Amino acid sequence: MKAKAFNLRDIFGDWWESATPIQRGITRTVVIATFYALPFLNNPVIDTPETSFKSVLFYPLVLFALMAVGLNVVVGKSGILDLGYVAFFAIGAYTHAVMSARTSLNFWEILPFAMGFAMLAGLILGLPALRLRGDYLAIITLGFGEIIRIIAINTEAIGGAAGITDIPGPTPIFGFEFSVMDPRPYYWLTLTLLILVIWGVLRLSHRKPGRAWEAIREDEDVAEFMGVATLKYKLWAFIIGGAVGGLAGAIYASKIRSIQPELFTLNLSIMILACVVFGGMGNIWGVILGAVLLGYIPEKLRFLSDYRIIFFGLLMVVMMNIRPNGLMPRKKREKFQEKIS
Amino acid sequence: MTKKLLEIQNLVVKFGGVTALNEVNLHVNEGEIAALIGPNGAGKTTVFNIVTGYYKPVSGDVLVDGNSVLGLRPYLIARMGLGRTFQNIRLFGDMTALENVATAADALNKSGLLSALFGLGRSRRDEKRSMETAQSLLEFIGLDHRAHQMAKNLPYGDQRRLEIARALALNPKVLLLDEPAAGFNPQEKVELGDLILKIRDKGYAVLLIEHDMSLVMKISDRISVLDFGQKIAEGTPSEIQKNQRVIDAYLGVAEDAS
Repeated sequence: MKAKAFNLRDIFGDWWESATPIQRGITRTVVIATFYALPFLNNPVIDTPETSFKSVLFYPLVLFALMAVGLNVVVGKSGILDLGYVAFFAIGAYTHAVMSARTSLNFWEILPFAMGFAMLAGLILGLPALRLRGDYLAIITLGFGEIIRIIAINTEAIGGAAGITDIPGPTPIFGFEFSVMDPRPYYWLTLTLLILVIWGVLRLSHRKPGRAWEAIREDEDVAEFMGVATLKYKLWAFIIGGAVGGLAGAIYASKIRSIQPELFTLNLSIMILACVVFGGMGNIWGVILGAVLLGYIPEKLRFLSDYRIIFFGLLMVVMMNIRPNGLMPRKKREKFQEKIS
Repeated sequence: MTKKLLEIQNLVVKFGGVTALNEVNLHVNEGEIAALIGPNGAGKTTVFNIVTGYYKPVSGDVLVDGNSVLGLRPYLIARMGLGRTFQNIRLFGDMTALENVATAADALNKSGLLSALFGLGRSRRDEKRSMETAQSLLEFIGLDHRAHQMAKNLPYGDQRRLEIARALALNPKVLLLDEPAAGFNPQEKVELGDLILKIRDKGYAVLLIEHDMSLVMKISDRISVLDFGQKIAEGTPSEIQKNQRVIDAYLGVAEDAS
């Protein structure tokens, strides 16, 4: 046997594989419960200046994590560089804002529409765009992100540049009131949806769709020669990424109660992409860690006012030099077996 | 009469002004190892890229088991029964050996993304089939002990064999091998020859591009020779070895001294 280097991931991985279903269940429950309990944490070390930790937990942390998991399907799993992810976020936010004003549907009934319209946008963008590759495709997605924002600015029916105000929050559910003052229910809601999305993405990752996406990322031509319907799976990646972005957007709009096109700029696309790359492209846990850190650090550095961006940039440069594949790279756990013969 | 599993009729391929293939006819019979040889640049790999749908020919036709595949996307042609390997190894490097083979095995499964997401029984059965196919193919090529290692970390020879296993996972009617012995030492070439014979004996027809003449002559049932995009000869190994045009193509023709 090869001598193994000390590696936390392998230690945990080995333990997880040898664990009984009960041990796994307990671990899962404890981890999930810890995350649900985070808003009760009252610790000056983790508190952020100017904003309360509770509201930082909702935005940016968990919302970034949700979007990063969605974008990771596109960028990390399938290797398609998407620079316009904010478009799906905007479509979700506008769907909730417009539909709650024009129809009698409440937030929960609008959610499927927000996801549905974002998926439709993914399909409409993807059908022509996904025939291209690499830089050309990246430029198209970049343009798409801008187009959606500019359409919003120039369409008076959806508020134009002034945006939409007085967006209602979610109606109470299971005894939780969603008020403007208390960010905790929004955090719990987003966390719950995040867990569902993680479950779905992991499920797909371990089966045929996950292998198809990875094959496309590794070598698209060869994937096609090996019978993978590459266009179909790239479209699915776009549609799933879009659905998650739309979901995040609807929650965001219901929390901040008024939206303007200027909330949905290229900066946000880049930020979410940075979470994915910083955390470890293609590794769902790395991506979440990246989103949490990149959401948290600028808030923590708020006492530096605008200088914090410099420190933020410096951190990115240093990190990418130390760990170019991200904090938790997507490397698979390899198992070595002796040849029996 | 033997069945032609792959048939290429009057194929003409041009890249800009260059004629890469000119009126080429080829076929692969059921249960045989057919070889395609010729000097570098003769158009051998172009034949593979045409039949697998990567390039479009100017004219001519390609039939797989009697059905024209012209104009079909490569993944559909692959599913109809053409599995190929590559002159330069092109594995999915960041995936394990098992996943590499399973990806190709997946192509024959009908269930798609939604049934995988909702865990329908069909998807579970398909997953099981893919994994079993992949596992048994790795055993077949003797790589089952490396199933969970990343393809890019495998030794060179194992990578070449893994490509063959991946192509076989498509359960192809014809297996297309593009210089599988490139970079092998004599011992490895002998083993590869045995493997190819074993693949034929399992019932797969093989179309082999190869520069190593001793390997080609030993295992091929029929050899076609390409030179400058033209088929200049076809026959059994012993016929090809005696063919003057083939000898000229490989060794060059002496200029007239006059």
